[in-house]
This record gives sequence, structure tokens and C-alpha cells, in this order.
Amino acid sequence: MKILADELFKEFREHSVSEFFRKNAAMLGYTGKIRSLTTVVHEGVTNAIDAAEESNVLPTISVAIKKVDENPEHFKVIVEDNASGIPEEFISNVFGKMLAGTKLHRNMQSRGQQGIGIVGGVMFSQITSGKPTSVFTSVGTGEIVQADVMIDVDKNEGKIVNGKKLKGDWRGTRVELELKDVTYVRSRYGPFNYLRMTAIANPHAQITFTEPGGVLTVFERATDKVPSRPKLMPPHPWGIASDDLLILAKHTKSRTIASFLVAELSRVTRRKVEEIRRISGEYLFSLPRGLKQEIKQKQVSEELREIFKQHEYALTKKAEIQPIGKEWKILDGKEEYMVKRDGSHLNIYRAMNFNRKPSELTWEDSEKIVSAFRQVKFMAPPTEGLRPIGAEDIEKGMRQILKPEFVYAVTRTPKVYRGGIPFIVEASVAYGGSAGKVASAENVEAETEGLELIRFANRAPLIFDQGGCAITAAARNIDWRRYGVDISTAPLTLFVNVVSAYVPYTSAGKQSIAEEPEVYEEIRSTIMDVARELRRYLYRKIRVKERQQRAGVFEQYLPIIAKKAADLAGVEEPDVKPLLRKVAGVENAES
Amino acid sequence: MPKVEKRGKERKKKAESELKNFGNEVVEHIKDAEPPRIKIPSRSTSNIVYDEANRYFVLGPRYGVRTAASMKQVKKFAQTMCVADFCKELIKDGKFATLREMYYTAEGWEAGPFGDQGESNALVEDLEAWFGLRFGLKREDLGLTPEEDGAAVYGQLVVDEDGVTIDATKAGRAGYTIPPTIDEVEFVKCKAKRVIAVETMGMYHRLVQERAWKGFDSLIVGLKGQAARATRRFLKRAHDELDLPVHLFCDGDPFGFHIAMVIISGSAKLAYINHELAVPDAQFIGVTASDIVDYKLPTDKLRELDVTRLKQLQKDPRYSGEFWQSEIKCMLELGKKAEQQAFSKYGLDHVVKEYLPAKLGLKQ
Repeated sequence: MKILADELFKEFREHSVSEFFRKNAAMLGYTGKIRSLTTVVHEGVTNAIDAAEESNVLPTISVAIKKVDENPEHFKVIVEDNASGIPEEFISNVFGKMLAGTKLHRNMQSRGQQGIGIVGGVMFSQITSGKPTSVFTSVGTGEIVQADVMIDVDKNEGKIVNGKKLKGDWRGTRVELELKDVTYVRSRYGPFNYLRMTAIANPHAQITFTEPGGVLTVFERATDKVPSRPKLMPPHPWGIASDDLLILAKHTKSRTIASFLVAELSRVTRRKVEEIRRISGEYLFSLPRGLKQEIKQKQVSEELREIFKQHEYALTKKAEIQPIGKEWKILDGKEEYMVKRDGSHLNIYRAMNFNRKPSELTWEDSEKIVSAFRQVKFMAPPTEGLRPIGAEDIEKGMRQILKPEFVYAVTRTPKVYRGGIPFIVEASVAYGGSAGKVASAENVEAETEGLELIRFANRAPLIFDQGGCAITAAARNIDWRRYGVDISTAPLTLFVNVVSAYVPYTSAGKQSIAEEPEVYEEIRSTIMDVARELRRYLYRKIRVKERQQRAGVFEQYLPIIAKKAADLAGVEEPDVKPLLRKVAGVENAES
Repeated sequence: MPKVEKRGKERKKKAESELKNFGNEVVEHIKDAEPPRIKIPSRSTSNIVYDEANRYFVLGPRYGVRTAASMKQVKKFAQTMCVADFCKELIKDGKFATLREMYYTAEGWEAGPFGDQGESNALVEDLEAWFGLRFGLKREDLGLTPEEDGAAVYGQLVVDEDGVTIDATKAGRAGYTIPPTIDEVEFVKCKAKRVIAVETMGMYHRLVQERAWKGFDSLIVGLKGQAARATRRFLKRAHDELDLPVHLFCDGDPFGFHIAMVIISGSAKLAYINHELAVPDAQFIGVTASDIVDYKLPTDKLRELDVTRLKQLQKDPRYSGEFWQSEIKCMLELGKKAEQQAFSKYGLDHVVKEYLPAKLGLKQ
């Protein structure tokens, strides 16, 4: 077993990160014909919005999906932005080298959740269609660079297979990716809804979308304010996943795992590293009861050595026992074994060797370390890194895209989960207009109404795995009738954005949020906040309607009473308006 | 109770002017921007009380106010106005309409058609209760008549119906038929000294054949079961205007008893108009439970329904008198009932020769 694992790891190391990705395409969102297309669009658009924001311009993004030939699963995805453009020498790295971008160390609450971004799209394109990705970019000097990029999977390098220079007065970047084995649908999971949701959560962006059928949709900008960029800071151990740690390890300048953890993560000290190391050890076996005395001496007894041998761990002559508090460790050259108490038992663990190079870190090591992170008390991450969209902008986005008759949003104050990880929940509700209408329909304008839940994590739409998400669970748990809403028919869109540098995703796919009790409760409370406001609106609406109905009833019958009374009395018909005004509050009783 | 002109034509004039007053009242309210309102006597069972002195049911003191300021009532108010106006037109044209005709006429009203006839009937009853209690007027005075004709009358009575003189001995064997508009009919001449009203038409024809009308100097009235409004009104007028004692001859069972009682004390449903319909002096002559015993009449066993009904009657205030209480008790103990025709056991004319004279105190 041991040897096999080593072999695998060796192989893994020799292969590039790109290869690693290729084998794990599913985890990164490239699974299923619909989802793969949406993921490519997501990576392209995320890249584009980020680039524009970094250039401090309001993002104007255009996305087009075109059919290439008769093959119904063959498309070209074109994403264009108005950012500052990419200098020629960086093109191959940006589009061809996994994890090469600046994003990696900007691990704070970024939109590009997967950490590999557009390169994944380039890779997917290359795998399915065999075609390079065409990049057009200009920094605004009148010269446009066209470059066809391919990835050298073995070397983790981008290659420009065809480069050209064109004249043109334009600034920005345009990426064209050719894909096969994907399907275009206008469902909740398709690119249309993804862009619609993106537009809601990014009211400062204008997104134009051309569908394969040629239908053009413009999601107009709703605000002229570029949101402030999240603060750059090292990730906190509570928010990191095994793959993140592995990726960090590949790029660190530190020489040992121990110093790597201190250098690349926040709130990790030497002492904490030692704690992590002890916790992340690998359980080997339990010592027989009679051996307590053997362990209390410095020298390793023959008996103890024999037991290790029985379990296929050979101790050398140099091995010696040292006490640590009420426990012990056995040092043997590079190997370190720990003797831990478990009730009256003594268990032997092999400590992880933190003096190795970070690049030698295996997937299993990474998992053990991340699991150890959860058991160690660190100083909590700071809250100032959180960047909510803000209630005002959410309302603008919702209003712009859904054209509802009522919208309300709330951004709550930061809370913490797992004893210290800060997060913010924002929610918004839109009623009427085209709210609730896109949900599961093939066509946007379809009549499907009822509650549509749109989920976001750090502004990024969560499209898949809706069922297992804490947001879904919280929304379902609410008794909507108490708020005057029948969720099966009401034209309602409910927006929830969970903001945190460490969003507790349920899986590596990062499409749903785990039901951490504090997070779940906070989502629920936030939804109830907006639902209460919705109830107030709906009740007001009912009252107005009732008043109108009331006025209508009097307008209909009082004149009849007046006329018939006059007929009975044989006198002239009295003016009914003053009475109408009085009983029905009808100011304009002309009709 | 307000004094009421007895004659139909004058009553209609009264109704016409009260409708006019009502119209004026509403017009004045509207001019003052005050919501018009009508005080309508409550017709709920809790407001129906037995008047010991008059010996019939009357409406209690409770009123409901219908106001045009209420969203729920304004439509009904408008419909009430339409009904009032409809009645005014009927009176003006000297016509009568049935409730059903009015219900269909309402299809064309601005205040909208009624959901069903029950709704329009209820409005008429409201109006009748209101006009009845305030002005002593009833629906016939407003031009609205019941559907059905009244009973048959045979005997020495001459009436005038719109200038046509009818002799109730010369109207064929079936007799003079009481019209729904009985209040319009004038009594011209009457030689009879009493009225005998019988439950079944079988008995009616028996009495006519046996010339009982002559023998007893009596008007014979065939009720045809439960007496129609027009019949009750006829009996009331015969008693009040012609000073005739009224004798009621029904089957000897709880239903026969009650046919008699409704004529005597009126019904709960029409409590607001009983002063126009009830004949408290009318006398139930049989068939009594004692008759069953005394005459050894052929009987049927009381059915479960009969027993239940008898027990209900026992508690009904209209039956609180000694006579009724003992009759009901007797019938329950017998467990038997008998029809009017049971006297045929002793020959077809036995009822005329023996029974009625005995009951009417005419036997020598």
C-alpha cells in the first residue's frame, strides 16, 4: 500500500498541474453537456469582469455562443471585455498556464472560485475540439494582437501556435473558444440564466448576450459605481480546502512544509504548526497493555522494537524516546513516532514530516493537514476583508433585470461560524414583473411562476446542486404563507448571497453551501427580513385594491339608489357625488 | 298596530304614498350627503315571539339597519329601491305580479339580477315586514301576489271582482275560487251564518253534495291541505267583515291539527303579517282524539313521524291551551289517528247528519 501511494504521488508530481486538472475535470465544473458550457461562460465572464474592475473601468462584457456547423453539440463561445488588455508577453501564461495568474494569492473572496479560471476553459476547448483558443487583445495603442493559444499539457505551459498583429483602435480582450460535446439550453442551468444572475449580482456590469439562435439580450448596467476590490491577504487555515493547499504548496518559495504553512497562511505560527503536525499524524497501531514501563525510559527496549517490527515498522539503533507533557515521542532519524493516550491505551502515530519540501506534499497529506486545521484554535480571520454587494446595489440589479413592481434587499452585519470565520448574508426579494419567471422554463418568457431562488456565493451564481444547499434548505424552511405568499404561484425571485473568504461549500464543485448551523440560521433570518418587507408590501397592495373595490361598489350602486328614490318620490334626481365622496372616499366621482 | 283601511283599493293608495315618502326620505338623505338607511324588522327566529293577548306570533322589537354606507349592504339597498320602484309601477298600472315574475323582471334592473329567487323573495319579505309593522301594509298591497290560488268556497255569498258579480252557489260544483288578490274583492251579500273550512277536497265535495251549505247556513271552504295565504286572508275577512264564526274540520292527526292552528294563530315565518292573516277565534272542531274514541272511528297507527310532531306541538306556545294539551296527550296515549273520511264507516251522510250538527251545537 505504502509503496503504491508513493508511486502514485511520484507520478502526480511529474505530471503538470494541467494534467492533474484534466483528470479532475468533473470536480472543476466540466461535467455534463450543459454544465460544461455554463462553466466555460462562467470562467470567461469572471475573467472579464475581474479584468475590468482591476483596470478600474465599468465592465462592458459581450458574450456570444454560436453554432459552428451542423453538429448540434459544437459551439463557439466568444467573450469580450473592455478592460486594459493583456500585454503580448503575458498572453500564453494567462491563457495557457494553470494557476499562473495573480489570482492565486488573491484567495480572498474572489469570484473565480475554482482557482484555475479561464485556463480550464482553454483546456476543455482543446480536449473536446482539438482547436486552440483565439485571443484578441489590445492595450489601446492602436495595435491588436491576435494569438491562438494551446496548452502543452506535459509542461503546463501555454504555446502561441499562431500569432498576428492587426491595426485597430480598440482596447480590451476577446477570447474565442471552440467546444464540442456541449449542449445549449435556456434552462436554469444554461448560460442565459447564469448571465442573468451575474447581471443581478453585478449591477455595475453591462452584459450583452447573443444566443445560438441569434437572439440578442442586453442586461443593462444599473449603477456606475465600480465596487471596491477585496483586500489581498493570505488565506486563513479555516477557509482552505485540500486542493487550495496543494496549489499553494506548488508555488511557494518556502523550503519546508512547516515554514510554508507559516508563510502562506494567515494566523499560523510555529507553535500552531507543531500542533497541526501532532494532530495530522497517521495512526499505526495500539501498544499492548503491559508496555507502559518500556515507554517511560529513554532507551527503546527490545520488546518495544519487536512490537514495531511486528507491525512492519523498523526502528533503528538511533531511536530514542522523549516525553512531551504526559505523552511521548520516539525519534528515529527523519522518522518521528508519537505515543498518544487514548483512555488507558497507548496509541502509536507516525508524525508527518514537516521538514520535507512543500512540493512533496501529497493529496493525502493535504487532506490530513486541512482536517487538522479544523481542530486547532487560530486567531479568527479579520472581517474587513468581506465585500458584500450592498443592499442598494442589489436592489438596483434586481430592478434592472427583473423589472419588478416591488423589490427589497438587506445586507446584514457580519457574523461568524465555526467559532470565528466571518461571513455576511445578503438577501433580496423581487415581486412582479419578470420575477420568478425564468426558473425552470425552457423559455425565459414562459409562464412559469412561483418562487425562484437565486443563490450566490461572493457574487458568483450558484447554479448547480441546488438541493443540497443551505440556502435552499433555509428558504424552504420558511412558512411563506405567513408572509402572504403562495410560493407555487407568486411571481417571486428570492436572492441570497453568502459573502465570506471561506464559504463553507459542500464539495469541491463549489456549487452549494454546507449547512453550518450559524450560516443556515443567518440565511434564514435574512430571508425572513426581506419576507417581512414583502408581506408589508403585499398587504398594502391588498388594502389599496380593497379601497378601489369599495369605491367601485359605491360608484355602481349609489347612483341607482338616487335614481330610484327620485322616481319613487317623483322629484329630480339628487346629486350623489357628495355622498360618494363621503362614504367611498372617491375624490374623482366623475365616472 | 296602525289603523288599516280594510278595503284593498284604499290600501293600495296608502302603499303608493308610503313608497313616495320613502323615496323622498332617501332623496333628502342623499342631498345632505347622509347615507340613506332603512330600519328593517329582524325576521330571525329569535325575534319571533308569541303574543299571548292576540294569540298569534308577532315580530319582536329588534331591528336591523340597512345602510347605503356599507359596502356589503349598498347593493341590497339599491335592489330594495328597485323593488320599491317596481311596486310603485305595479300599483300605478293596477297590476299584480308574482314573486317569480318580479325575480325575472330583476334581470333587467341596474342593480343587477338576483342570484336566485330566494334572494329576491327575502327582499320582498324585508319590505313587507317593514311596511307591515310601520303602516300595516302587506305585499299584496304593494302589488305582489302569491303564486297559487286560494281555496274553493261554496255557499250563500256574493262577491264583486272588478265589477263582475259572482254568486258562490252559482259557480259550479267546484265553487268560487279565492283569487290571490282577495283584498281587491268586495263582499256584496252574505246569507251564511258561519264558515266551515275542511282540510280535504273530498270532504268539501261531500258537504256540497249533501247541501250542508244550506243545512248549516254555512260557507264551505275547501282548504286543499295547508291553507294558502289568500285562503287565510279570506277567512280573516269573512270573520272580521262578515262577522262569521269560523269552524275548522281537519284530519285527526298532527298535520290536521297544524293546518287548523296556522289559520288560528298564524305561522312563525309570516309573523310580521299575522295581524292580517290569523283568525284567533276560529275553532277547531275535529277530528279530535276524543272523537276517535267516541265515534269508534277506523284508525291508522301513529307513525314515528306523527309521534315526533305531536311532541313538538306539545311544546309549541300556540298549543298551550288546555284543550290542545289534552287532545295531544290523548292521541299519544291512543297511538292512533283518523281521517275526516273515517266517518263514512257509518254511511256517507253520517258526517252531515250526525257529526257536524253535534259539533256545531245544532242537534236537537
